[in-house]
Amino acid sequence: MIPYINEYDTPECKTLAETAKKSIRTPASLGLDRCIQCGACTASCPAARFTDYSPRQIVKKVLENDRSVLESEMIWSCFYCYSCNVRCPRNNSPVTIVQVLRQMAINEGIGVEKLAYFLEIGEYLSKNGASKVPGAGIKNMERDLGERWIRFKKNLESTRVELGLSSKDIRNTHGEVQAILEATGYFEREKWLKAKIQEKLLHQLLENQCIKKEYKSGDFGFENDRRHPRQPAFTI
Amino acid sequence: MKTIEDIPDSQLLLFKSCMVGQEYPGVETSTRYVFDRLGVDYCINDEQSCCTGIGHYTDIFEGLTTTAIAARNFAVARKCGYPNITCLCSTCYAINKEACEVLNTNTEVREKVNSIFREQGLDNLVYEKDDMNPKTNFYHAVEILLSKVDKIQEKKIFDFSGVKAAAHHACHYYKVKYLDVLGNPENPQLIDTIAAACGAEPVRWYEDRTLTCGMGFSQLHLNKDTSLQVTKTKLDSLQKAGVELMIHMCPNCHIQYDRYQPVIEKEFGVKYDMVHMNIAQFVALSMGADPYKVCGFQTHSVPLEGFLEKNGII
Repeated sequence: MIPYINEYDTPECKTLAETAKKSIRTPASLGLDRCIQCGACTASCPAARFTDYSPRQIVKKVLENDRSVLESEMIWSCFYCYSCNVRCPRNNSPVTIVQVLRQMAINEGIGVEKLAYFLEIGEYLSKNGASKVPGAGIKNMERDLGERWIRFKKNLESTRVELGLSSKDIRNTHGEVQAILEATGYFEREKWLKAKIQEKLLHQLLENQCIKKEYKSGDFGFENDRRHPRQPAFTI
Repeated sequence: MKTIEDIPDSQLLLFKSCMVGQEYPGVETSTRYVFDRLGVDYCINDEQSCCTGIGHYTDIFEGLTTTAIAARNFAVARKCGYPNITCLCSTCYAINKEACEVLNTNTEVREKVNSIFREQGLDNLVYEKDDMNPKTNFYHAVEILLSKVDKIQEKKIFDFSGVKAAAHHACHYYKVKYLDVLGNPENPQLIDTIAAACGAEPVRWYEDRTLTCGMGFSQLHLNKDTSLQVTKTKLDSLQKAGVELMIHMCPNCHIQYDRYQPVIEKEFGVKYDMVHMNIAQFVALSMGADPYKVCGFQTHSVPLEGFLEKNGII
């Protein structure tokens, strides 16, 4: 299948850095070129604290125009918490750059299987004007949160009425949201994504059956930021 | 930077939040209860749709879709004469504010969005440059409460003195558009100040105060272990600080801490003494609101009965 073109999130440019700067996802004042690799982003990052994720190294890869970063599992670990965005002394924004990298990866069919879980959100929004936790998420929540939450969800409508709200969170969008999603190409992309996910699953199946599996760790020569074992944090 | 004098108290469109509506409807009713008593002029409009935040940050919506949906909601706000979009959810706040900036500064995107509207016969949604101002048309409900903190103090019926409370300010309120935060984005004190007006004793600083809740959009679903580790880190810190009440301003964080606290207790073999509520629920309580008919505490996962009894509310 041909790659998907998404001209506003991932405008086609000569380098990763140019695409990141031109993308609708990053601020116009993005200080990418001013990055001094100080690591304030990684030091502030919740994902870096508990995994091998490193926003500093991702930015380095982007500046080196190393496209292997798109295949790294690392880009899927960001929490989108924007701590790096607020802390960067050079007005860079690793969190929004990672959003662009994920979109670029998706265009090439990398990591699309991770989106399968969430695709329902678009359909639900176009029909109801609101978002909800997707079905698979609800199942996990039922398992994790147990009886109390299941009971509350069952009684949600009567609880809302008791609070003086309409029984459902009604949104009268007059079909406008649906029309907008149609015209921005959302549905077209969704169709492409679904086909791509199918294709990947099939490919994986074949690979497991008859082709010797070449193991890719997703580790594309990132340095280890953790040379020293972690010290207990200072408590005030 | 925003200042407290800039915060309006009229023509506020109270922007409905999907996660509030589905998980903690009492946050919406509490906000209305408090706004009514503070004389805030607001409206709720069913024509307003979701901001797309959940889909945007799980990478399924592209920027153009998010911006177009935002432009539609801006038209809804302007048409009903309530152009000051006031959010209950920090992600709605960030998404709308950012979309407004894009629409004002990126001519190519603005024209594309408008051509989509015209092509679909939705000419009434067309957005002209500067129809909205990203700095003066977008607020979080907590900012409105802070601007009325003296009145809150006057109107309080219950005094929460002695309640050790800690604030969790939502990342998408103070880390996305950090130049427009009321106060210092390295140490926001909005919730603490409001809680103090209700008599509570805010723990103004604790270890990892600015750490994210851990929900991380796709992270809770795809990397649950890491997600809960992040959540646990802050809960541990609050337990150490002897906090009994954690106050929120975003339904996503609220879900992560309130719904998943019992899960973390079970999976990590720990025990926490905190209960959770939104700042609007806390203010409503102090103004004498019913904990179930207004605050909707029956929808919470960590039971609040012990806390309410101890403070003489039930």
